[in-house]
Amino acid sequence: IMAQTKSRLLGNNCIFFLTISSMMHMALADGKTLVLLDNLNIRDTHSIFFRSLADRGFDLSFKTADDPSLSLIKYGQFLYDHLIIFSPSVEDFGGNINVETITSFIDGGGNVLVAAGSDIGDPLRELGSECGIEFDEEKTAVIDHHHYDVSDPGEHTLIVADPENLLKAPTIVGNPSDKPILFKGVGMVADPDNPLVLDILTGSSTSYSYFPDRPISQYPHAVGKNTLLIAGLQARNNARVVFSGSLYFFSDAFFNSAVQKATPGSQRYAQTGNMELAEALSQWVFKEAGVLRVGAVTHHPVGESTPPAAYTITDLVEYSVVIEKLSKGSWVPFDGKDIQLEFVRIDPFVRTYLKKNGDKYSVQFKLPDVYGVFQFKVDYNRLGYTHLYSSTQVSVRPLQHTQYDRFIPSAFPYYASVFSMMGGLFVFSIVFLHMKEKEKSD
Amino acid sequence: MILKCYFIVIYLGNNTLCVFCLVLLTAALGAQALTPSHHLSLSDVERLKGLLSQPFTDLASAYYSIVGLSKLFTSIITTMFTDVFYCTACCLIKSLFFIFVDSLFFAAEASQAIADCEVSISNETRDILLAAVSEDSTVTQIFRAVSALSSLGLPLASQEVVAALVARIAKEDNVLAITTALQTATRLSQQAELGGILEEIEDLAARLDDLGGVYLQFEEGLEATALFVTAAYTLSDHADTEPPLKEDQVIQLVNSVFSKKSWDSRSEAFSVACAAAALSSNRFHVPVIVSTQGPATVSHSQPILHLVVTDILSNPLASANLLVESAQAVASKSVVLSQAPFSLRDGIFELNFMASQPASGYYQFTVAVTGDSRLVANQVELKVKVSTEVAVTNMDLSVVDKDQSIGTKTSRVDYPFKAKGSFTADSHQNFAMNFQLVDANTGVELTPHQTFVRFHNQKTGQEVVFVAEPDSKNLYKFELDTAERKSEFDSMSGTYVLHLIVGDATLENPILWNVADVVLKFLDEEAPAAIQSKTLYMPKPDIQHLFREPEKKPPTVVSNTFTALVLSPFLLLLILWFKLGANISNFSLSPSSVLFHVGHACMLGLMYVYWTHLNMFQTLKYLAIIGSLTFLAGNRMLAQKAVKRYGQSSTLTFFTRSTCEN
Repeated sequence: IMAQTKSRLLGNNCIFFLTISSMMHMALADGKTLVLLDNLNIRDTHSIFFRSLADRGFDLSFKTADDPSLSLIKYGQFLYDHLIIFSPSVEDFGGNINVETITSFIDGGGNVLVAAGSDIGDPLRELGSECGIEFDEEKTAVIDHHHYDVSDPGEHTLIVADPENLLKAPTIVGNPSDKPILFKGVGMVADPDNPLVLDILTGSSTSYSYFPDRPISQYPHAVGKNTLLIAGLQARNNARVVFSGSLYFFSDAFFNSAVQKATPGSQRYAQTGNMELAEALSQWVFKEAGVLRVGAVTHHPVGESTPPAAYTITDLVEYSVVIEKLSKGSWVPFDGKDIQLEFVRIDPFVRTYLKKNGDKYSVQFKLPDVYGVFQFKVDYNRLGYTHLYSSTQVSVRPLQHTQYDRFIPSAFPYYASVFSMMGGLFVFSIVFLHMKEKEKSD
Repeated sequence: MILKCYFIVIYLGNNTLCVFCLVLLTAALGAQALTPSHHLSLSDVERLKGLLSQPFTDLASAYYSIVGLSKLFTSIITTMFTDVFYCTACCLIKSLFFIFVDSLFFAAEASQAIADCEVSISNETRDILLAAVSEDSTVTQIFRAVSALSSLGLPLASQEVVAALVARIAKEDNVLAITTALQTATRLSQQAELGGILEEIEDLAARLDDLGGVYLQFEEGLEATALFVTAAYTLSDHADTEPPLKEDQVIQLVNSVFSKKSWDSRSEAFSVACAAAALSSNRFHVPVIVSTQGPATVSHSQPILHLVVTDILSNPLASANLLVESAQAVASKSVVLSQAPFSLRDGIFELNFMASQPASGYYQFTVAVTGDSRLVANQVELKVKVSTEVAVTNMDLSVVDKDQSIGTKTSRVDYPFKAKGSFTADSHQNFAMNFQLVDANTGVELTPHQTFVRFHNQKTGQEVVFVAEPDSKNLYKFELDTAERKSEFDSMSGTYVLHLIVGDATLENPILWNVADVVLKFLDEEAPAAIQSKTLYMPKPDIQHLFREPEKKPPTVVSNTFTALVLSPFLLLLILWFKLGANISNFSLSPSSVLFHVGHACMLGLMYVYWTHLNMFQTLKYLAIIGSLTFLAGNRMLAQKAVKRYGQSSTLTFFTRSTCEN
């Protein structure tokens, strides 16, 4: 008995430790972040941004970008979940970090936040091109002679970006506000062949990107609304990358400063919208916002509760799926109005909107009159959300021979002839067997 | 790189040029390193004050707040504190029962900073403090005990303290401990031998990390750096020896201490306040901040350049004099002004730069601040902008035929009006635009940085921007070849709004002028390619499955007719039988015959059920049951019939017997 109790105690302990460790794992899961800086002073000049990250549970480790001990991958495992590159001028990363490892980090699902500046070095430009974003050359800046701040030091590069130029996606840029955004840095353009690049913040029509101290001798890299100030990317594996052309954008000075366009009569705002935007962007890029997952998927014929081995064509079927969203670290039911279900055999045969029904999304529909192997597919790809994909395979068979119509009006002559023959046989057999012939009896 | 260029210049040029270049380059290089890029602006001081004035509950916070504030505002300390603040502070200090060196230190220091709040202590507490000054206590303990003693006006043996400190430093060899030792030394008598401790300043300075030549800081963080600056200057003042810090180092220290504008804790804010106080009032190095009031811009409407000369805390330096050593145009390198003094008015230095009639552009000012030997970074390079206003003149718009450029109609448009009517250009025509940009003040032709022509399709939101370039006479000619440029417009014909955008950093009035509406017609219009990114995140169109149409059936009249026809033989049979006199008079209600006919009917009925409901195996099962019963019943019935019909016929004896046996 003693031994049994002991082992049970041990078992309990084991379970306890397992729960503890799994909880710890959960807590650390969105934590480890490597921050690469040009110099450690940036930690002080951008302290509000870093503090907000630390307050939200990120485990930040600050390194200078040329630190020889840097490494992102060890024994095939990523050492960090997220990467912040606040080192615009870096010419060569230290340790075994280079553009290739950062790209494979993104390919492996890691999230990256990059801030550049007019002193942008080659590695960041290369990283940008890998992600479909072309940075302008070193020493260039986004210039806007019509929308610059009153405190601009003289080159009209301290730009006031209107919040109207933000991407219309609250999961990425936060709730709309009217506070303008201060920006000073290098411009980008999106690769037109890359459909995944998101124009998070664009310049105004009058902005352009060029060397501020040289006359324009060739067509500028970015002009007008094509000038990207902040760009983002959600890769097909849901890894997220945000490029900001300006490191100052995240600085304490820009977070706290007042902003007013230099054109006479423009409104003065006591604070820029930088802090809110930076916070929303960091929540998005580090997967605190806009993350969806699929829960239980059920499907069955209407009126039943379990799915059959195979559906028959033209069955009335009910499909339901649970979709959840990450909100402040916990999963809550997602509230979407445009979730579509497809019933697919190579091509979709049916595509219909799912309706929210309690915690589930469900729909009833009639299966097509085509048999084969089908999939119930929910492929929800919306701006700012992770790509949600769920597919459930079912087979649909044709009618059994007993399930067809027994009596077709056109075939009534056949039925009638058969039944008259059968009736005739019956009557004839009675008459034949039991007739009394009169002559004989006479 | 910079050094290399430097030497090449020296060896290439002749002697005089060489010296000139050398001076220029050193000035330029020096300027980069020599100007503090961070200081506490008035709003920063306000925020620092706000952080330190937050209510406190413990003694350490009270110390940080009160002493920190007193450092920031030496003169106005009593008016600074509100009554409530003062009262809580003093009550807190007096309410505590002191047996620890730390709380004694906090209370003594804080009470010294506030008037009328004296702490009286007993002899035992004094002994506690004196006992703390020994080699066995940590440097922090020694510092706190010594400070408390000196604040309370109690005597202490300076030489012993020095000995204890030297012994402790040898054990605790870290930046914070040594900085604390330096701070302790400032509380000691000037007669004590402070030389050994003074040397530590130089040793610590050697431990500072240089970050890119701009920042100089300890890796222990901002607080350590700030406290070191405070201690170094307070001790140097105390011992009256110049601190062993070079000018560059001072500026780099200033940059790293004041670059952080948002302080994490009260103690960090306190250390920054102390460093600011030490750097703005010491006897050796006072860094100067020269900044323009508003943007560094002069123009015809605002010809006067306003400069403010302050210390780190943005307090104006009244004793300073300001002199322009030289003002040089950045583009042409020609010197416009040299050795011109600024005049002081209401604490602001003023210079009418437009008096020397500079052309618009940037000017590099070298400004010297004199009047005090303590000033550090008193050679300042400033970039001053001379801005002007632009006017667009001679704006001509025309549509030119490619084949024959004669007979085109040119229309003149005046800023800021829009051309009447719209211009239409098809693929055989060019749209042309000529204009001139002149300085509105002097009439000189200008070539601003940004001279863009923007076509905006209001229907699709598409915008196409071209750069207008000036010819050799500074006349801007913009020509749009409709056929050649169709790819840039995605071959979308339609009305485009034409804007002229003129802007330059030296222009006060950037121009965004809606000049005209232009209708562009492209020859082979392609359907606009659906851009994938726009549809990638949109819901897809609904698909309803189209069910197969049921096959068309022949009319039921035909089948009904034939049904009737098929049924007619049966009726005929019945009629004929009736006529012939068919009957079933021989039917006897014997069980076998009833059973046989019922069984027969059931078999026929089973055939129907087989057709509608059953499968073959079920049918066979039922058929076997019904069939065998019917067979037996039929056999008996036939036997009975045979007996009845043939009476005692001998040929059938056997048959009868066998049936009977059954």
